[in-house]
Amino acid sequence: MVVEIILGIAPVFATYYLTALGHGLFEKSGVLNLAIDGLFIVAATVAFAVSVYTLNPWAGLFAAIVIDALFGVFLAYVTTKFPVSHGAVGLSLMFLGYGLGILIGTPANFYARAKRLKTTQYVFAQTTLSETLMYIIPIVLGILVLLLLNKTKLGAAIRASGENPHAAAALGVDVLRTRLIAGALGYALIGAGGALFVLAWRSGWDPKIYLLGHGWIAFAISLSAGRHPLVTILNAGIFSGLVKYQYNIQTMLRMSTEIAKMLPFIAAIAAMVIFNITPLRRILAPPASLGKIYYKEEKTV
Amino acid sequence: MLRLIVLKRVKPIPFSGVLIPVVSLVAGILLSTVILYVLAGIPPLGIFNSIKESFVAPTVVKDTLILTLVGISLVIAFTGAIWNIGSEGQIHMGMMFTTWVALFSALSTMPLWAKIVSVLGAAVFGFMWAAIAGFLRAYTKVDEVPVTLMMNYIAYYILDILVYGPWKGKRTYGYIRTDEIAEPLRFQQLTVFNIKTTATWEALILVIIVFILTWVLLRYTTLGLRIRILGSNPDILKSAGISVPLTIVLALAISGLVSGIVGAAYVLGDTYRLSYPLEEHTANYGYLGILVAWLSMLDLRGVPIAAYIVSALRNTGTVIQIAGLGGVGTMFVFIGSVLLTYSIVRIFSEYTIKIVVRR
Repeated sequence: MVVEIILGIAPVFATYYLTALGHGLFEKSGVLNLAIDGLFIVAATVAFAVSVYTLNPWAGLFAAIVIDALFGVFLAYVTTKFPVSHGAVGLSLMFLGYGLGILIGTPANFYARAKRLKTTQYVFAQTTLSETLMYIIPIVLGILVLLLLNKTKLGAAIRASGENPHAAAALGVDVLRTRLIAGALGYALIGAGGALFVLAWRSGWDPKIYLLGHGWIAFAISLSAGRHPLVTILNAGIFSGLVKYQYNIQTMLRMSTEIAKMLPFIAAIAAMVIFNITPLRRILAPPASLGKIYYKEEKTV
Repeated sequence: MLRLIVLKRVKPIPFSGVLIPVVSLVAGILLSTVILYVLAGIPPLGIFNSIKESFVAPTVVKDTLILTLVGISLVIAFTGAIWNIGSEGQIHMGMMFTTWVALFSALSTMPLWAKIVSVLGAAVFGFMWAAIAGFLRAYTKVDEVPVTLMMNYIAYYILDILVYGPWKGKRTYGYIRTDEIAEPLRFQQLTVFNIKTTATWEALILVIIVFILTWVLLRYTTLGLRIRILGSNPDILKSAGISVPLTIVLALAISGLVSGIVGAAYVLGDTYRLSYPLEEHTANYGYLGILVAWLSMLDLRGVPIAAYIVSALRNTGTVIQIAGLGGVGTMFVFIGSVLLTYSIVRIFSEYTIKIVVRR
């Protein structure tokens, strides 16, 4: 019974955890990532469209990872190379992401209906094995990210670029290259999260998908876990349980559906507030230069 | 090898206040055209034609007035470098109060008072809704962008609960929505030279009043000065002994106040009712307003012009939707592309980019 409940949460957990993990990794390099919700939708839609056209969910997952990684590289490049506002670029990519999602997903959705495709033809099969793997693989990836950040030269460069890019550059770190790598890796994980959202959790796509705001929940999960890969596991687990069983909680407490839909957002805001007013913020402090414009006078010769 | 080098300008570029929005608009529209052509096969010429026709479409007058109000609202917050992405939610709080006054309160028999109370009450609701995010930003240092954004969802769902439950109308032909607001309570259609527009007299008056008051607030009051300093250098405020957190709360809350008024104008002048689910029936004015505020370069005089342009773009999205070629997706592509080109082009006012060939 308990095992079943825990396994049932697996697709939700994998979606939230991978998205939050990638977001945290990217922000560690100092780029404020407000594009997350839009690019989450892009990943979800690309995964859906490619799986529907090829009838191969693995192709969908792969395409989503690649497309989102490209967006991550773009976001990292623009915010590091030019003295632009991270927030403005991020938000515009968010809106663009919603638009792209609707434009790509709508025809794919028509195609799936016209061909009378069954969902089982283009999403991952839900078995005990696949659900177990949806815990194991993300957590292994999380541990790898932790090792990358704390035990490797690249990880040190990522953290240095987030704390103080000018000092890092003076010590020989190529801030631009470091952030490009962090953007690619981070958004590859976000892309995987977005793909699992349609290929495992919801098993399908609909045009109102951009109204769900799961990217923002993942944003809050990562922020309130101090962007630490292992703490994020705990937070993602709590939110997955809440979101998966919000309707059970709702019937149990006889609330209306809308209150149940509201709960994750209230919880997300509360989690961020709790993180900020408790010593957690001091222990797992955000990167000091997060979202700050990195401008260094360059010599023309 | 080609290398891009960013250099600081000695003098700012002349006419940057006009050049930058125009260049980013043109570049943004071109980018969206490419995206729409590649992904949806919409012919570029068709899009240019729709944009051209949209500048004289009847709905543009209505949208311009509403978006001017939203733009003013966001300019107030953005001037203080407080990124209020929650206008959408603040508008919905205003809509909630207005609907209650018009349908359920004793005032519904007194049209003039109902309108005045609606607008004032909607302003208070917007103010309070934004103040919640303001307090969290000021006193717990939670970034206002995710908070205001997530509060939009919460606002939608609060109205959904009301419309689905206690406010569900009796004459709604099976739709889940409230009853229509009675004719005398609605805003009166604006007629210019005997031509009926989709805009309303009251909306026009509100725009003028709010514009003047905001102009005075930002230019001639201490609070306005504090908000402007908050945007440029909050440390000065601190050393002058002025409470930075309080200034943050006020900047966000006053911005919400104006957004709340938008809610009243939208319900009484356009929809006359609330329809379930709110998140699918929204006109997305709160998000379009972000584009208006940024394109105006945070200059109040630029807001009506920016609002007019954004209204035309919104109308283009609707026209393409009617032709069955997109929908709300087109609108988001326009918002995203123009904001993206704007945030990049904007650096040219202070910087210049040189392309250097290196062997």
